Amino acid sequence: MRSRDGNRLSALSIFKLIFLFYSLALSAGEYLISYRYVTQNAILYNEVLSIAKAMHKCTGTPSSTLILESDGSDNLNQIISQNEDEFLSFIHALGLDVKHSEINTNLQNSSTTILTLKTTCFKVNFNDNFAKISPLN
Amino acid sequence: MKYSLLLIAFLGAGSLMADEAPVSNITINCENPKTGETCQKSPTEVIDATGMDTVVSDVPKKDAFLAKGAEVRISVIGQGVAPMNTSSPAQAYALAKRAATADAYRLLAEKVKGVRIDGQDLIKNMMVQRSTVRTTVQAMVKNANVVETTFKEGLCEVEMEIVLAHSQFSN
Repeated sequence: MRSRDGNRLSALSIFKLIFLFYSLALSAGEYLISYRYVTQNAILYNEVLSIAKAMHKCTGTPSSTLILESDGSDNLNQIISQNEDEFLSFIHALGLDVKHSEINTNLQNSSTTILTLKTTCFKVNFNDNFAKISPLN
Repeated sequence: MKYSLLLIAFLGAGSLMADEAPVSNITINCENPKTGETCQKSPTEVIDATGMDTVVSDVPKKDAFLAKGAEVRISVIGQGVAPMNTSSPAQAYALAKRAATADAYRLLAEKVKGVRIDGQDLIKNMMVQRSTVRTTVQAMVKNANVVETTFKEGLCEVEMEIVLAHSQFSN
């Protein structure tokens, strides 16, 4: 039979764990991200990075993870724009579709290259000062 | 009697002509991949109009490009140029780097997957009016690593490499 003091101690430890959990994982969400850029004759022509909150639950398991500094913010657009180079390198490593066409007419050359990340669902956990981003495969 | 002698002579000449006609042998060697048994098809005699003997045999098997446990490292250098109307050197560098990365990805795709080439020449009155060559590449490139980036006189060069392992394709 447990004493009253013992019960209080265990209840306190449970509350501590819950508090710790909520302080570490403030919020989490799923986002749809797509990226595309066009290069024409070796000059960057157009670049689009689209980020939107998913309106329904995504399926899949999180794979490779990127951790970005968020400074307490839970605005993914802002976090990514602050760490753009890092995020784009991460996206490149995930894999991009390459579509290249080159036309040579009467010995004059022109080329167009399109690199695309198809719309992919990412799970994002916003902690105190970090955002943990993982694609769902 | 005279006619019968003539007939025999005519038939003899005909048989001689048939013997001299060109004959070719076609030999096809095949092997059963499951049992490993070789099957030899009986040589077929075919009258070849050219009079040349034709021998058809299996193309020798190519060695595997990626042996088990082996790795292939493919390295390319992509080039990109900054646009003329940039607001700062930093922007010029960033844009040129992006273009160079796209070029490096294209080169990797070309090396790994290959290029489709279509050509068209328009000739009118024995003169070439228009000569067109179209090349297209379509692929998905994953896990490419940037080795080095250099930016000199408006030209950005990105050295990129990709490692292909046997384990990636043996599922």
